[in-house]
Amino acid sequence: MSSDLVMDTCLLAGSIILKNGGETYRTEETMALIAKAAGMDDVNSSATPTSIILSFRCSGFDHTRMVRTPKRTTNLNKITLVNDVSRQFVGGKINLEQAYRTLREIDQKKQIYPKWLQHLAAATASGSFAMLAGGDWGSLVPSAIAGLIVNLSQEYLEQFVRMKFFTEFSAALLGGLFALLTVTVFPQLHLSIIIIGAMLPLFPGIAITNSLRDLMAGDLVAGVSRGVEAMLTAVSVAVATAIILSFTR
Amino acid sequence: MLLKGLALSFASSVAWCVLFNVPVRTIVAAGLAGVVGFLVYSILPIYGAEVLLSTFVSAAVVSLLSQLLSIILRVPSTNFSVAGIIPLVPGSLAYKAMLAFVNNDYVGGITQATKTLMVAGAIASGLIFGISVLTIWKGARYAGKRAQRD
Repeated sequence: MSSDLVMDTCLLAGSIILKNGGETYRTEETMALIAKAAGMDDVNSSATPTSIILSFRCSGFDHTRMVRTPKRTTNLNKITLVNDVSRQFVGGKINLEQAYRTLREIDQKKQIYPKWLQHLAAATASGSFAMLAGGDWGSLVPSAIAGLIVNLSQEYLEQFVRMKFFTEFSAALLGGLFALLTVTVFPQLHLSIIIIGAMLPLFPGIAITNSLRDLMAGDLVAGVSRGVEAMLTAVSVAVATAIILSFTR
Repeated sequence: MLLKGLALSFASSVAWCVLFNVPVRTIVAAGLAGVVGFLVYSILPIYGAEVLLSTFVSAAVVSLLSQLLSIILRVPSTNFSVAGIIPLVPGSLAYKAMLAFVNNDYVGGITQATKTLMVAGAIASGLIFGISVLTIWKGARYAGKRAQRD
């Protein structure tokens, strides 16, 4: 078995997991499992939220490579698929070439839900969360539209701004402005309920959960850096909300 | 009233799943995790539990449930836990904190912000509790197997 293909397969699996919002301990484990199942000795893998290093020994030679993953999105479907491939390979159901080909296909895959459905989902999440926070039926539609605006502006601003935290800040600001406008036009609605619902699509859920799981797995560097990521997002959303609220005084 | 909350928590969890591209076959199970979390979160205060306790217990239940579902459906448990904690997010507390800060009521703002942080910590520790219970159980099982082999 050629060591180059093993290295390529492991790094591809690891970078797919890391790029799409997986935990670093899952990245490390998957790479180490594939390399060990391919018959490599002395496997060591290390991942931080932005880079992967893998090293192993194959017939007397050491091989080490590193890849960076600067851009990260969230696509849990790809993580599930990579998980399946690594299980099948470790279980001996497919060989290394098949695994590598499947991983290449997974890497090229588009998101399973179309864009409009995702925006609709953001609207649904915002509307129903606003009602869970104590809103009445009248506030359902405005908070859904505000959530839609937040999600849309987050997606479009990201292409121009390319700075994650400023994108979130501006998206929160736009959603808040819409909430303010709605309350000005219809004074019987509650501003608080609409804003609470509108900010839900920006909630750093995946960063928080991953940071906790990394910390639990003993991966302190990755856990703390993800925790800081979540906190920065929360703070930028909070400041945007505060700016919106200062207009109502 | 409770029924409405259950339907809403299901809707928000499923919508959150779509936002994160959760695989189609697990989407109903993830919504179920959200519903169970919300059910525990809204039933416990009837028996006199504080908000911190009920948040902690419901986050732990969500986390345990996602671990079990991940074993049954053979997918990573993040698929379920991310959507399941959505109904527990302390949105209104964070909003109240911001409102107090803007109105120059810094003491009240810090009180509300501390409450928000405590609830967030309760969610975090509940999730950790759920993960560690299953890890301990797995470790105990493997230890038992090792003892049998030796």
